Amino acid sequence: MTNFTWLEEIDHTGDCGVCITAESEAQLFARAALAMMHIITDITCVSAQEKTLFSLEAADRAALLRKWLNQLNYYHITEEFLFCDFKIREIAETRLIGAALGEKIDTGKHQIFTEIKAVTYHELEIEQTSMGWSAQIIFDL
Amino acid sequence: MEKSKLRKISDAIWEIPKSGNMRVPARIYATEKLLDAILQDNGPQQAVNVAHLPGIVGYSLAMPDMHWGYGFPIGGVAAFDAQDGIISPGGVGYDINCGVRLMAGKLSRGQVQPKLSQLVDALFRAVPTGVGKGGDIKISREGLRKVTENGARWAVERGYGSESDLEYIEENGCIGIADSQAVSAQAWERGKKQLGTLGSGNHFLEIGYVAEIFDEEAARIMGLQKDQITVIIHCGSRGFGYQVCDDYLEIMDRTIAKYRIAVPDRQLACAPLKSAEGRAYLGAMGCAINYAFANRQIIAAQTSKVFKKVFGMSATDIGLRLIYEIAHNIAKFENHKVAGKMTKVCVHRKGATRAFGPGAQEIPEQFKHIGQPVLIPGDMGRYSYVLVGTEQAMAETFGSTCHGAGRALSRTKAKKAAHGRNIQNELLQSGIHVRSAGRRTLDEEIPEAYKDVSQVVEVCVAAGISKKVAKLRPLGCIKG
Repeated sequence: MTNFTWLEEIDHTGDCGVCITAESEAQLFARAALAMMHIITDITCVSAQEKTLFSLEAADRAALLRKWLNQLNYYHITEEFLFCDFKIREIAETRLIGAALGEKIDTGKHQIFTEIKAVTYHELEIEQTSMGWSAQIIFDL
Repeated sequence: MEKSKLRKISDAIWEIPKSGNMRVPARIYATEKLLDAILQDNGPQQAVNVAHLPGIVGYSLAMPDMHWGYGFPIGGVAAFDAQDGIISPGGVGYDINCGVRLMAGKLSRGQVQPKLSQLVDALFRAVPTGVGKGGDIKISREGLRKVTENGARWAVERGYGSESDLEYIEENGCIGIADSQAVSAQAWERGKKQLGTLGSGNHFLEIGYVAEIFDEEAARIMGLQKDQITVIIHCGSRGFGYQVCDDYLEIMDRTIAKYRIAVPDRQLACAPLKSAEGRAYLGAMGCAINYAFANRQIIAAQTSKVFKKVFGMSATDIGLRLIYEIAHNIAKFENHKVAGKMTKVCVHRKGATRAFGPGAQEIPEQFKHIGQPVLIPGDMGRYSYVLVGTEQAMAETFGSTCHGAGRALSRTKAKKAAHGRNIQNELLQSGIHVRSAGRRTLDEEIPEAYKDVSQVVEVCVAAGISKKVAKLRPLGCIKG
């Protein structure tokens, strides 16, 4: 799916899953968003023209990751927008402030590979390891 | 899961006995050969997980097309007591009321084939497909509210199809539990531009023909004849339903602890049917169910319009008529015999189809003595089946059967298998014209990515939960 060394695709029968590693929690959330956009489009064709801010709260860290990705996907669908870069400004166990950079979909420039219905709770894992942070996410396509 | 954990009940049924905190056993409908394939992924464990949920009655069931889903397995059927059971958004799925509609026309395969390429192109232009493709219907929030309260009738009243269609749609195209107050602002926003669109992934619109008849009487009653042209529409509630599911998963994930319900997978988040959260989800899910009924009604009317234009014939001469439309991602209150007593239950069918037997009051008078028509779509290259429900399905599976072929390959493996091939050309060599919004979709949906649907159907027949009526073969298909 990609050449990212921090990203591994899970072979899920019906849908699509990824495993992500990162040095910090903030990097993990940014990379998870990048992995999701990579499923949707070729992010090398997306320019960081506009910035959108997200301020989110959730019950715990896993729920926060799911909410972050679902809100980005919601914005992508309803605003017909693609993202290519993510900055996590503040992150705690249940709260995140972040920015997503990208541009409006241009059908002449962007190819949309697939639609993500949602980010599921199924086998959703996020943990701090001796190497940093890791997460497993399954998307419903 | 190891095969040794399962007990053979019959040549078509395998049981995972109760253990740990399972409230009921799980049962998988499969031949031994199919079971070996089913055991390769986590689907059986998910059927076990469902058996832990409060209020489940009978068995946690899995149809022969089962595979690894999220929360519930795809192909899962579970009924919960209406008094003390739960409802789970993950037991319905994101695409609420994803379903299939079967239509048949007066034209024969011979009449359609010369114009097939033109027909498929015209359908591809007329029916929006693919990611984020909005429909031509511009609708206000208030208008959308009416859609979600009236379902297919909303579409009929605006000239999409006819009043007589409604009788041949599950729930007559409108479920009464819809409550627009329970729908979030994000769901309204997501659903606003997508009415009348097919979507992406495994959704499709297929032109085919009746290739074989197995039950002459049932086929005659349905109005199916050999070589007759058919149309299958497979889609659901689009982003509206996805958002409803997502909203309520989050709500129930937050509130599950107060009901002291422990689930082995967070995606199984649920709430008691009688709780405020459970009732609210039922209302919002009802809105999504009705959205999907309206969606398919609109697409069907667009299809009829394209046929008229391409063939230069009147609607009467083309005669595209709805045979039946069914849902395969849904939860509904139904009455079934549980431990010998008629009981009101909430049946969750996630990737499973209602298949009520002869005499059921919910099915049209025309089908009362043959049972409810069931359409089981296969893959793009092979065939689909028309079945009918049976009394045995009513007794054993809460009136349910399979919903399709079921994936055999993951999307990743399918893309690898399609690498370097031109799937569109390969299908054309077999006489099947395919148009798709994206090449990746075609690669992920190659015929070999799915089990042979005939194997799945034969299990349902052997188990007595469905009877074969006809086999359809594809001629053309549009995909997202």
